[in-house]
Amino acid sequence: MTVHETRTRHGDSKRGDASDGAVLAESVGGRLSRVDGPAKITGAAKYAVEQQLDGLSHAVLVESTIAAGRVRSIDTAAAESAPGVLLVLTPDNVLRLNTATDWLGTPPPDAPYCPLARDITFSGQHVAAVVAERFEQAVAAAALVKVSYDETPAIVDLDDPKAGDGIPIDTMTKEWGDAQAAFASAPVRICAAYNTPREYQTPMEPHGLIAQWQGDRLTVWEPSQWLDGMARTYAEWFGVPFENVRLVSPYIGGGFGSKAFAYGYSAVAAIAAKMLGRPVKLAVTRPQTFTAYGGRAATRQTVALGADAEGRIQSIVHRGVNETSVDGMWVEPLGSVTSIMYATPNFSSRQNVVRVNTVVPGALRAPGENPSAFGIESAIDELAYEAGIDPLEIRLRNYAEQDPEAKKPWSTRQLREAFAAGAEAFGWSKRNPQPRSMRDGNQLIGWGVAAGTYPVRRAYGEAMVRILADGSVEVESSSIDMGQGTYTILAQTAAEVVGVPAENVVVKLGDSRYPRAGVTGGSRLAGVMTGAVHKAASAALDQLVGLAISDPNSPFHALQANTLVVANGHIRSPRGDGPEVSIAELLGSVGREQIEAMGDTMPANSTADDRYKNYTTIATALSHTEGDYSRHSWCAHFIEVRVDEDFGTVRVSRVVSALDSGRLYNPKLAESQWKGGIIMGIGQALLEEGIVDRRHGRIVNNNLADYLIATNADIPDIEVISVGIPDLHSSVLGGKGVGELGIVGVAPAIANAVFHATGKRVRDLPITLEKLI
Amino acid sequence: MTSKTPIHLTINGHRHELEVEPRVTLLDALRDHLGLTGTKKGCDQGQCGACTVHVDGQRVLACLTLAAQAEGRAVTTIEGLAESDGTLHAVQAAFLEQDAFQCGYCTPGQIMSAVACIREGRAGSDDEIREYMAGNLCRCGAYPHIVAAVRQAALEVAS
Repeated sequence: MTVHETRTRHGDSKRGDASDGAVLAESVGGRLSRVDGPAKITGAAKYAVEQQLDGLSHAVLVESTIAAGRVRSIDTAAAESAPGVLLVLTPDNVLRLNTATDWLGTPPPDAPYCPLARDITFSGQHVAAVVAERFEQAVAAAALVKVSYDETPAIVDLDDPKAGDGIPIDTMTKEWGDAQAAFASAPVRICAAYNTPREYQTPMEPHGLIAQWQGDRLTVWEPSQWLDGMARTYAEWFGVPFENVRLVSPYIGGGFGSKAFAYGYSAVAAIAAKMLGRPVKLAVTRPQTFTAYGGRAATRQTVALGADAEGRIQSIVHRGVNETSVDGMWVEPLGSVTSIMYATPNFSSRQNVVRVNTVVPGALRAPGENPSAFGIESAIDELAYEAGIDPLEIRLRNYAEQDPEAKKPWSTRQLREAFAAGAEAFGWSKRNPQPRSMRDGNQLIGWGVAAGTYPVRRAYGEAMVRILADGSVEVESSSIDMGQGTYTILAQTAAEVVGVPAENVVVKLGDSRYPRAGVTGGSRLAGVMTGAVHKAASAALDQLVGLAISDPNSPFHALQANTLVVANGHIRSPRGDGPEVSIAELLGSVGREQIEAMGDTMPANSTADDRYKNYTTIATALSHTEGDYSRHSWCAHFIEVRVDEDFGTVRVSRVVSALDSGRLYNPKLAESQWKGGIIMGIGQALLEEGIVDRRHGRIVNNNLADYLIATNADIPDIEVISVGIPDLHSSVLGGKGVGELGIVGVAPAIANAVFHATGKRVRDLPITLEKLI
Repeated sequence: MTSKTPIHLTINGHRHELEVEPRVTLLDALRDHLGLTGTKKGCDQGQCGACTVHVDGQRVLACLTLAAQAEGRAVTTIEGLAESDGTLHAVQAAFLEQDAFQCGYCTPGQIMSAVACIREGRAGSDDEIREYMAGNLCRCGAYPHIVAAVRQAALEVAS
């Protein structure tokens, strides 16, 4: 359980500087500093695997060193006799589990699940584990486990001649008009291939867990983007009731899509804890984080654009491929932005997936939209140059006034406003379109623009709100805060609805014993949970006012008022007559310890089964085009690069981004998330690439010194501008997604800027110096 | 290797006696043996800066320092930065005000690095701050706000 009280600290601004100029920092829309901040800056915040338990033992994984084949034998003798060793787990002695339902809700096959592999399908697969009294003993003993293999040839990546064309994914096919014919007859045409490499989430907190059994009850302390989904997995693995599993995830040190599931190592730790009858901690090492779960799949796209002489698109033909694993399926939807960004009468998009010997890829910030935007937003820049039209102008000329795919109006689309605000702040009108037209000494300067988008993913939420005897308010939810600001915005929501200062609200998150919540992914949590808390808090307020009006012992009883006002923790008549008493005084006079209200946004006729499915799978999530509207966040990035003419090194020197996430619940925190996405996008464009050793099918740069992410010295000042307006079709309080939007479109904006600087079009991320010299 | 050795560590002004193996790092001694989990393990191989602490006032990576190497030296961790009455260090207050973090996992290391960066006289300009804070990775991407926080705290420390 984690509790955060909102306290105003020295230096905090009580009043926000939102555009209307009057939003209190602690109201929804105000710039309240993060309420979990004091714990994080003092070291008091205890993350999941930092729990100190008596009798804790330590597990260390042993991974395969081949990419394909079979384990012939595992010699555990030396490890078993090493000091402190309690257990060596191999495929031979590990407890068999049930296969669990997947995140989509697909019923599992009736087959056992073994998290330690005998058949090897990728390098870095878990084959054994050593549990010892102390961490250092487990590390030393794991090095003594000797695994021998019968190796078979591996398909190392998409470029492997054995990889083939892959499997067509029919659900990704989107067609309207006659795209091939329209392309063939278009007067202006471009066609190019765009590639993105394997990329990794690399949250600063490595994955891991502590598992503890008490009888048939399991407690797991594990960083989690989805407590209830992961609790379901553990329950099904071990065949115990869902209620017997408690997931605790007080803080999450970054996830970026990678912490929503219980993975193989999670099963290993829980099995070891069961077999040993004592708590086991398993901390995945940094190198192991590159194969213990999947990063973003490598992708290949071709984009063909046909336009008339004025640059109006007549046809888009798009083909995409992403890699997946030998026995798992990951589809990175590469046509997701291609099909909605621009108006076109003719469109065709298809996608294949190709099986290679890798861990099954997974979600990394804006899966699908991110590589999709790299393709289409690079391609339209190429079309602009082919047609001799300004890259910003060609985007406006092809502006989609409605969703071209769903043929529905946008709920809100402030993209034109984003282009205008970004261009103005950046100074786009001063741009000379000619490549290599700007320089500063030996640095070539380029300006690029690209747009981004992310769908509004909606689901149902649930929350408990209590008004306590002392007049404070408590919010409970099994949702989580991995830095997006959940603790803070839920405190703001409850404070505003009930009418108390935010510092009187305590928000409790990160424990599956609380009211349930679906996945924190797809930028959906803030919209879902502010809606649920708003509803629960409104119900609690109604109860409070009802008591004050009708209870014979209430000081308001004689007033015969229809309603009362609650503000700043005090209750009064809206007419100004009668008393003004604090919430605590009222509850005291009517003899109530607390008022509590559960609120959920599920349809009224939902069954218990519906609710369980909603919170533990994504089967009930609502489509962004459900009903009458198509709902998306939008953004436009304007980026300046400086390229050293001799060495080809690229530096991003200026970023202005204008973004439409609808209404912002807390602009201070939303701006931080946007900037974080943009910074991750700068790393993606210039640095990030999982490099495969083609001899062994192994990721060779599996550490933070060789897999380069942006450092402080790589990042200039970044200006973000909010152009959103409240969108009540997207969420109860009018917000759209924030977390994933910022990264979408950054890489193509940088590639476009590099072209403007150098005249060289790099279509293969990352844009490293050897591609420019 | 596995026999334990008594060592004495002075951490945040408090003296601790520990029986640990010689191979135990300062990072694991802090986190697993003393329960001081404010110092974070991000890579355990000296690449990310999350474990930055001060030893005799210098910033060091606790994951690349054996606990025994800290014997007889003054170790300061994030838990020892605020005053005993809870008053935050200027760098801590600036991190909160500037929203210089999101998930918070790199934050203790960033703050310890920032305190040292200012003390080293390397917070004279934004570019200098970026360079001398570049050893502390932040995947949430709080860098511009970290620069703003260090700039603000440097001015406060100087006055």
